[in-house]
Amino acid sequence: MEKTVLEIINYIRKNKDLEPLENIDPKDNLRDDIGFTSFDLAELTVRIEDKFGIDIFEDGLITTIGEVYKKLKK
Amino acid sequence: MNYFLIDKDQNYSYQKLLKDIRQSTYYYPVLITDNLYLYFKNLILSLVADQPLTLLDSDLQPSMTKNIDVRMINKTENLEKNLHSISSIENLVEKVLSSKSTVTIFTSGTTGQPKEVNHTIKTLTRYLKKNNSHSKDIWAFAYNPSHIAGLQVFFQAFANQNPIINVFNMGRNEIYSLIDKYQITHISATPTFYRLLLPKEISYPSIQRATFGGEKTEGSLFEKIQQIFPNAKMNNIYASTEAGSLFASKGDCFQIPEEIKDYIKFEENELLIHKCLLGNSKSFFLKNNYYYTGDLIEWIDKDAGLFKFKSRKNELINVGGYKVNPNEVENVILQIDGVQQTVVYGKLNSVLGNILCADIKMEKGKEITEIEIRKILSYSLQDFKIPRIIKFTDNIVLTRTGKIKRS
Repeated sequence: MEKTVLEIINYIRKNKDLEPLENIDPKDNLRDDIGFTSFDLAELTVRIEDKFGIDIFEDGLITTIGEVYKKLKK
Repeated sequence: MNYFLIDKDQNYSYQKLLKDIRQSTYYYPVLITDNLYLYFKNLILSLVADQPLTLLDSDLQPSMTKNIDVRMINKTENLEKNLHSISSIENLVEKVLSSKSTVTIFTSGTTGQPKEVNHTIKTLTRYLKKNNSHSKDIWAFAYNPSHIAGLQVFFQAFANQNPIINVFNMGRNEIYSLIDKYQITHISATPTFYRLLLPKEISYPSIQRATFGGEKTEGSLFEKIQQIFPNAKMNNIYASTEAGSLFASKGDCFQIPEEIKDYIKFEENELLIHKCLLGNSKSFFLKNNYYYTGDLIEWIDKDAGLFKFKSRKNELINVGGYKVNPNEVENVILQIDGVQQTVVYGKLNSVLGNILCADIKMEKGKEITEIEIRKILSYSLQDFKIPRIIKFTDNIVLTRTGKIKRS
């Protein structure tokens, strides 16, 4: 699951002309460390929902990679 | 010290603003900058000097608009007035609010090309409230400064000499820490901005007023935001680039204010605005002196003038407060080599309200990737108009609202 999340993040980064990340840490902040704007977060939620069937932002915004994992493990 | 602006750890006082204005000998009629202080100072300079100004986004591609002479961007022009005589901040405010200048802003370009609208200080400050009860307000600045809503927040704060704290495009933690640090009392923002503040962790009692504008707000969002700002009065505002602010909400409905009621009409439930309430533009399409907004309403109490906004007549997609005309985007996609057919639509999204999607059918034997398409679109479309999810299909069967089209 972690690998798929990283692939999705790198796909969105590629569209923004950003280098792919080799790994991500649960502590990483989606805005500050991953470099995502609210438009990127909107895209992230759609791509994750396509793969896992879960809308990670449904109950409000989450800020870290760890929180994404937590939503997907539920 | 009486702060004028706090932007990314930089503080600017009203005294500094006054001093800078008094010493200025030139301004920029067409300025593109990321520096908010420079941007506001330039706006004030053009107004006090009664000279024209065109406002552009800091990320606007000049090729996007045919109305701008690119050579004019960031070129200086001498001020025709000597501003040394401005005696005080109060005097500066008076001069701004009685300016004869024309401020040109642009619509988001829903009919292909962004529309130019020329405003006067009168249309920009229609419902401005300037009195003692507002002297202690502290404003969060959460809009793009070149958009009508951003200008309204600016004038409301400036007229009352309130501090403006920039929170536009900032992350959630940063916004919360600024609200706390500066004890912000007023926020005006899009529902998308407020959605980014969820879920509630702690509450912020300093906020007295939270205004929602720019897109339709779902009732549950009001309730959730009320928990974060327990002391805030909340309302919705209807404003447009064409007309400025028109209605504020009463509960979850809107009411037409007495002073403009003779200039508002409805035709087949579409909101019509009389030209006297509008800025000036060559591109307005008027019929019998009325502007057709394309906003459809539903009456709640017709005698009391209470109504709700229902939908758009012409299918505009609201993406995080930015309005996108799918036809415009489709036309650009169709110019890409190998694209046979496309449909652009909004899909409900928990972050932006709607996310822009495109389905594309390619000609036989032609191939292209999603990333390549987005790259090509970025040369001619503003970022918010580029579909975030592009799917390739052999059969285009979706309507614009993302529903399966029944034939």
